[in-house]
Amino acid sequence: MLMLKLAFRNILRNKRRTILTMLSMFGGYVLLTLSISVQNGSYVQVIDFFTRDSTGHAQISEVGYQDKPTLYKSVPETTDFYQQLMQVDGVQRATPRIVSSALAYGETKSFPVQVIGVDVEKEARMSFLEEKVKTGQYLEVGPDSDGYYSALIGAAVARQLSLEMGDELILISQGADGSMANDLYRVVGVVGSTEGAEARNVYLPLAAAQSFFVMPEQAHYWAVLTSDYERSDQLSQRLNSWLDGDSELEAVTWKVVSKEFYETMKADVEGGYVAYYIIIFLVCIGVLNTVLMSVLERTGEFGVLKAIGTSPGRVFTLIVTETLMLAVLSCLAGLIVAMPINYYLAAVGFVLPEPMEVSGVIMSHMKGLWDVKTFMEPALIVIGSAALISLFPARRAAKIVPVDAMRSL
Amino acid sequence: MKPVIETRELCRFYGAGDTLVKALDDVNIRIDPGEFTAIVGPSGSGKSTLLQQIGGLDIPNHGKVLLKDKPISEMSGKELSDFRRDHIGFIFQAYNLIPVLSAAENCEYIMLLQGIPAAERRERVLSMLAQVGLEGREDRLPGQLSGGQQQRVAVARAMVSQPDIILADEPTANLDSQTGMELLDMMHDLNRNEGMTFVFSTHDPKIMERASRLIYVEDGKVIREETRNG
Repeated sequence: MLMLKLAFRNILRNKRRTILTMLSMFGGYVLLTLSISVQNGSYVQVIDFFTRDSTGHAQISEVGYQDKPTLYKSVPETTDFYQQLMQVDGVQRATPRIVSSALAYGETKSFPVQVIGVDVEKEARMSFLEEKVKTGQYLEVGPDSDGYYSALIGAAVARQLSLEMGDELILISQGADGSMANDLYRVVGVVGSTEGAEARNVYLPLAAAQSFFVMPEQAHYWAVLTSDYERSDQLSQRLNSWLDGDSELEAVTWKVVSKEFYETMKADVEGGYVAYYIIIFLVCIGVLNTVLMSVLERTGEFGVLKAIGTSPGRVFTLIVTETLMLAVLSCLAGLIVAMPINYYLAAVGFVLPEPMEVSGVIMSHMKGLWDVKTFMEPALIVIGSAALISLFPARRAAKIVPVDAMRSL
Repeated sequence: MKPVIETRELCRFYGAGDTLVKALDDVNIRIDPGEFTAIVGPSGSGKSTLLQQIGGLDIPNHGKVLLKDKPISEMSGKELSDFRRDHIGFIFQAYNLIPVLSAAENCEYIMLLQGIPAAERRERVLSMLAQVGLEGREDRLPGQLSGGQQQRVAVARAMVSQPDIILADEPTANLDSQTGMELLDMMHDLNRNEGMTFVFSTHDPKIMERASRLIYVEDGKVIREETRNG
């Protein structure tokens, strides 16, 4: 207790210097907290949106499909399969999809498109497809009175083929049985923007896609959602346990399904570390300067402490303790300031001056992240860096020879 | 009687070649328990260097310092710290109290290092400060005490851990003559009543008169020893 008292009183000796050092660590903590909050917040936002809208948290497909997607590798699309799938622990939603390419024709032009067959109702519950309809309406399950199945087209398809609501869309491709696939559909809506990930897509009701690609009661994969993308590994494991009896099917997480997206996000996070390093470096310089000055000024005093029996280890601990106290107090002050700011960032966020596309996801605003890690991580970084930085001056003070040190008194 | 401290062929040199200074040159002394010894000599004679060597604050170039027959020059940094903590009490010319600790806390500090329980520490500190006439000033910081009072705290700090020997480097040099004499009388009383061994350096003839034994040092050598009836 006396040692703590001594350390605490020592940091109060030069109040101006203590305040400046604390400001440096306080600023570092607040900046780190907000940077990490916005960085991780946007990371979570993008991944959450991307996985819910596109890949799901995990996918069930035929073995090898993820490495080389092909029309011929399929999974069952039956009520029985769906019901069993929904019984797997952690599964909240699931939807089947058929994905293949085709050539689309308007009245005068053709355009290569990606056809995605979706279960109209399950897809609406799972992804944001329905919300992304900019013009027209969402898909109908069955054909209209004229026998046409509905089609949603991406904005680039609409522009290239000059298609409008109610126009006929002709698709030509190949069926899974090797036959030539061609059919007519009625355009009921346009989704997204010309820059969006779905710009070149054509969405069909699953029954229409199954018929077009000759895949009765089949799909290319089931996209599955659990409560949170961070549980996707767990979900994938459970799905694989469930599929254990079927050697032809496998479950993989979104990280495998969209490896490129995952790698981009990882690189983005790593890029953010550069900013953290700069902040940490500035904090370290401030702390090192203070601790060195403090040790230098008190050289004689350390000589006396050692002369009266303080071991080198205790002198070392005293200096590290003083620095740690400063760091902890700075982080506490930083926490008081960072909490309301971060709460606002997490709850309200801020609008980006220009919408930004991250791997096909358009972001118009960013939000912070409100969790323990966002506040703890910067504290550990600041306190850890301060402790690390204090080791050198502490070692120097611990090693001084009393008689030499006391000459400076 | 076994000496508390003994030096054998003790040498401490500074510099080299033409600039070599022999601060201590083949010094052989022994201090017995209960002595009240003064190391005397003019400025630069080697008094302080000898005290530093006896107290293990510096390493000799040659020779040995033995504390109860144990050579302290062969100890590691940690062993030396422990040795100083448990066996030596220091009183410095400039008091050298820890400025952020109160009078009581300054005294308590060494006992804390010794691992003495808090209640016992407090009891011994209060008793010691009362002995040196600082009752009621226990909670004052060094800056709130006069020079004489600070040196009394330093004496209390040196004695409270019950060391084998107390080394005082010109303890009265920064005090006016009356305060200096009072302090010396107090140290002398503690020596007589508690049996504590004191070794102090001085070049003040008035102070030399109080010593029971005088060791004269000149140019780093012990030139004469004199025993008196304290």
